[in-house]
Amino acid sequence: MPMNFEQFKEKLLMYGADVRCWPKEIRSSGLKALNNSFELKKLAQEEERFEGVLKTRKYEEPSRYLAERIVAAALPKKKKMQRKLGVFFAEVLSEFSLSRRALAAVSAALIFTLIIGFTIGISNPSGYALAEQYETNLEDVLNYEGDVL
Amino acid sequence: MDVKLLHLDDESLLCRIQEGSHEAFATIVDRHSNRFYRIAYRLVSSKDDAEDIVQEAFLKLWDRPNLWDPGKRAKFTTWFYRVVINLCFDHRKKKKLVNLPADIEFADENPGSDVLFDVYQKQAVLERLIQELPERQQLAVNLCFYEGLSNNEAAQIIGVKVKALQSLVMRAKTTLKSKVKRYLGGGPRCQ
Repeated sequence: MPMNFEQFKEKLLMYGADVRCWPKEIRSSGLKALNNSFELKKLAQEEERFEGVLKTRKYEEPSRYLAERIVAAALPKKKKMQRKLGVFFAEVLSEFSLSRRALAAVSAALIFTLIIGFTIGISNPSGYALAEQYETNLEDVLNYEGDVL
Repeated sequence: MDVKLLHLDDESLLCRIQEGSHEAFATIVDRHSNRFYRIAYRLVSSKDDAEDIVQEAFLKLWDRPNLWDPGKRAKFTTWFYRVVINLCFDHRKKKKLVNLPADIEFADENPGSDVLFDVYQKQAVLERLIQELPERQQLAVNLCFYEGLSNNEAAQIIGVKVKALQSLVMRAKTTLKSKVKRYLGGGPRCQ
C-alpha cells in the first residue's frame, strides 16, 4: 500500500531522515513514495538538515580511565565486605596460584615449623627460672657484708 | 582480567557479582561504563558530573548487587539505564538548567534573527532547547536519536509502550524543529 504525505512525514520523525534505515516492513513503501514525489524529497532533505543541527550538540568523551577509576573505588568496599576467614585465605592462596602439590608442601612445611616452635617453647620453660635465680644471686651480692676492704 | 569472564553475558556476570566476584564487576564496568556515561552526559551536560554519576551507579550495584533481580527477566542494560537516568534526574533537581552565555538573547522578541552565533553559543542554545523539553520527551530523543537504541528498548527503559514512545519522539522532534528554526535558523548555516 503506497504511503501518503502524512504517513511519510510521521515515519520521518519517528525513524529519521535516512529512509534506508527505516524498519524493514515500511522501508520499501517509504523509498517508493520518496522516489515518486518531489514534495517528499524536499521534506526528507529538510529533516536531514534538522538532524544535522541536532548532531552538532556538544559531547565530551569520558576520561580514558573511567572504568579503572570505578573498579578501584569498589576495591576498599570489597575488603570490607569479605570478612569471612575462609574467603580471605582462599583469596590469598589464589593470588599465588600454586598447584595442589605445591600447596600441600607449603602447608606441611608451615605446620611442621609451627610444631617445632611449640615443642621448643614448651620443653624449655627455664627462661623464667633462670631470671628468678639471677635475682636471688644479685640479692646475695647486695646483702654481702663481709670482706669489706 | 579473567579471560573466561569476557565471554560471559551480562546476566551471568551479575550472578557472579552477587557472589562477591570483583573480577566480574570489573568486567561489567569495562564493558558498559562508556555507554552509560554517554546517556548521563546527555542528561547532565557535564563530563565530571556524568562520570561521577556513572561511578555512583556502579558502586551501588557493587554494594547491593541483589537490587538486580534475575527473576524479573530484565536485561541488565535496560535496568541499569533506569538506575543511571534516575540518578541524573536527581542530580538535575539539585542544579539548574545549563546557563546560556550572558550575551545571548534568548527571547521570543526577535525570532529568526540572523545573529551570528559561534559554535559554542549554538551548542549552548541547542542544549537549552533540549533541556526545556518535558523529561520523557528528552529521554526519548536522547535514547532513540543520540544513543540509537531501538524503539522497543527505549520504551522499556522509559516504562511506556512502543506507540507511546514513538509519540514522545515525534512530539519532541516537532517542538525542537520549530525552536531550532526560530533560534538557530534551522538551515545548513548552523552546522
